[in-house]
Amino acid sequence: MTRPAVRIRDVHKSFGSTEVLKGIELSVPKGSTTCLLGPSGSGKSTLLRCIAFLEETSSGIIEIDGDPLGFAEAGEGRRTRLSASDIRRVRAKIGMVFQQFNLWPHMTALGNVTEALVTVQGMKRSAANEIGNRQLARVGLSDRGHHYPSELSGGQQQRVAIARALALSPDILLFDEPTASLDPELTGEVLNVMRELAETGMTLVIVTHEIGFAASVGQKIAFLDHGKLLLDGPPAEIFGTPRHPRLEQFLETYLDRGAATLV
Amino acid sequence: MSTRLFELMLWAAGKTVLLSAISIAIGLAIGLLVCAAKLSPKKLLSIPATVYVSLFRGVPLLVQLLLIYNLLPALGILVPSEVAAIAGLALCTAAYQAENLRGGFNSVPRGLIEAADMVGMSPWQQLRRIRAPIAFRLTLPALVNEMILILKASSLISVVGVIELTRMAQNLSASTFRPLLFYSVAGGIYLAICWLVAGGGSLAERLMRTGSSR
Amino acid sequence: MSLDFSIVWQQFPQILSAFWNTIWIWIVATILAILLGFVVAALRRYGPLWLNLLLRLYVEVIRGTPFLIQLFLLYFGGPFIGLSLEPIPAGLLGMTVYGSAYFSEIFRAGFAAIPPGHIEAAECVGLSRGQIVRRILVPEMTMLVLPQIVNMAIILMKETAILSIITVPELTLVVGAIGSQQYAFVEAMTMLALFYWALVELSGWLGGLAEKKLSKFRFAH
Repeated sequence: MTRPAVRIRDVHKSFGSTEVLKGIELSVPKGSTTCLLGPSGSGKSTLLRCIAFLEETSSGIIEIDGDPLGFAEAGEGRRTRLSASDIRRVRAKIGMVFQQFNLWPHMTALGNVTEALVTVQGMKRSAANEIGNRQLARVGLSDRGHHYPSELSGGQQQRVAIARALALSPDILLFDEPTASLDPELTGEVLNVMRELAETGMTLVIVTHEIGFAASVGQKIAFLDHGKLLLDGPPAEIFGTPRHPRLEQFLETYLDRGAATLV
Repeated sequence: MSTRLFELMLWAAGKTVLLSAISIAIGLAIGLLVCAAKLSPKKLLSIPATVYVSLFRGVPLLVQLLLIYNLLPALGILVPSEVAAIAGLALCTAAYQAENLRGGFNSVPRGLIEAADMVGMSPWQQLRRIRAPIAFRLTLPALVNEMILILKASSLISVVGVIELTRMAQNLSASTFRPLLFYSVAGGIYLAICWLVAGGGSLAERLMRTGSSR
Repeated sequence: MSLDFSIVWQQFPQILSAFWNTIWIWIVATILAILLGFVVAALRRYGPLWLNLLLRLYVEVIRGTPFLIQLFLLYFGGPFIGLSLEPIPAGLLGMTVYGSAYFSEIFRAGFAAIPPGHIEAAECVGLSRGQIVRRILVPEMTMLVLPQIVNMAIILMKETAILSIITVPELTLVVGAIGSQQYAFVEAMTMLALFYWALVELSGWLGGLAEKKLSKFRFAH
């Protein structure tokens, strides 16, 4: 059996005295789409941000394709912090798409997509632009390269953000509630791009409230509640009856937001 | 007012603009250093920077100017009064500009830096490519405002003997006994310069907001 | 250079009276400027258009010209139009006019920042116009503008030094004169600078305290 793309072992995370992740165990198989679901405050976004190393775990180990991220085991439950270059190397396998898009406002769409190719990888401007244009075409925005983020709709901005992440050809792409800041009529275009990505066999980890999308595209559903991983399995099993009472409660809350389609 | 006298006023106005512009530029450079020191985690840098900002913002500019103008010769440094005036204005505006810049850097949305982090930029690359350009755009309105403040405050350097717009108006009113005329003309010129700077500032802001793509 | 601060202290009574002048001129001018600024802002918002435009010109002219030029116009130009003022009244009047333009802009922004929904909500629950002003507008306005009012008051404290140029016997004039007489100008000015610094820091601290005391509520977003 191949190594999982992401392996999370007994991860805890506290902000001050509040523990938001309480011993998470999860593995993300390569080439699959995993959706993290859960009510607000369940810790799903924090978990995703830990996988991106935007938050540091308080204890436990996260491995990306077998390599420890940020901290390595040092025996007897202790861990050592890895060097900045190690962190950068492992992190280069991960791309991230944010809820707020986080496009750099002073650069065009193409500039956003090619920035890291030029600055970080030292690629020539022309070669970077070629890749950038290809990625923009992939998300259906080949004619928007010279627009600034402020001139694009929310859905277009989020697709540029996806292209920006794709340009660095990551092994794993993380999505943190990618449609939560969008007007309802704009979520479709972003979800479609994500669905296409899932079909290409890329490893995706998605925090979302789009339960219909999770049920149809996700190969694995992880349901978090109060910092614990309550359920973990294929959608048919998770959403099939009998359902876990906490999940049932959660689904009821979101029924009017698309969950109706799956029941 | 004869053309000759009006020309004198305009020449003095030019000097006001020139001295203010030099002070703003030097003040921006010092302000950047002070801002960097204040944002530094090292106390050895951040505490002196904090004291600098508090001191130069807490003492009236007139007192600063009088002090510098008299302190330099007392220390054996003999410079033209223009230089002392620029030093005074620049040191003062630096404190304000440092605070403006700090505000700009602190208002760069966290997510934009996280996005830079995720694509592998080093801290230095993040500063150069993301934080500094965005902070500069956020600081621009405050910078324009500071330019206007310094243009007006530069009238105080008349008391250390620099012949600029205010001093010229003073001299001409004294010799012609027409203070109403000359101070009104001086006021009008200050007003025009301030409006020009404000107008230029909002134009620059508009260009930057759309990203100057068109 | 020998720093000898004791000389300055020998003139203590004179300095004390100058300090008193600085303080009272500052406080009186600030209060008058706040009142005038509020009236200007209110007239601009609720008065006729021509008055709004006229007052806008007033605000723009005051804010677009140096305080020193305004003082010179008043003090040296005034007598030519029958307005001969002693230094202190001239300084007081100049500072009031100068400050009022800035305060009016603070109030104008304050008026504009009160969400119209708050007034509509008050109308819906049946509050009268007077009650709306007293119970909704004034408390919300106070919260919105207080930090800037404090800030501007501190700026005015520093601007009192400029009154020395039209020979108002306040701190900068008196301490400077003593310094010159005693050939200890730098020492005198250093002490003066430190004194202003302390005064400004103290006012800032008191202002912050007042804000905290008054901020029983915050604007929800």
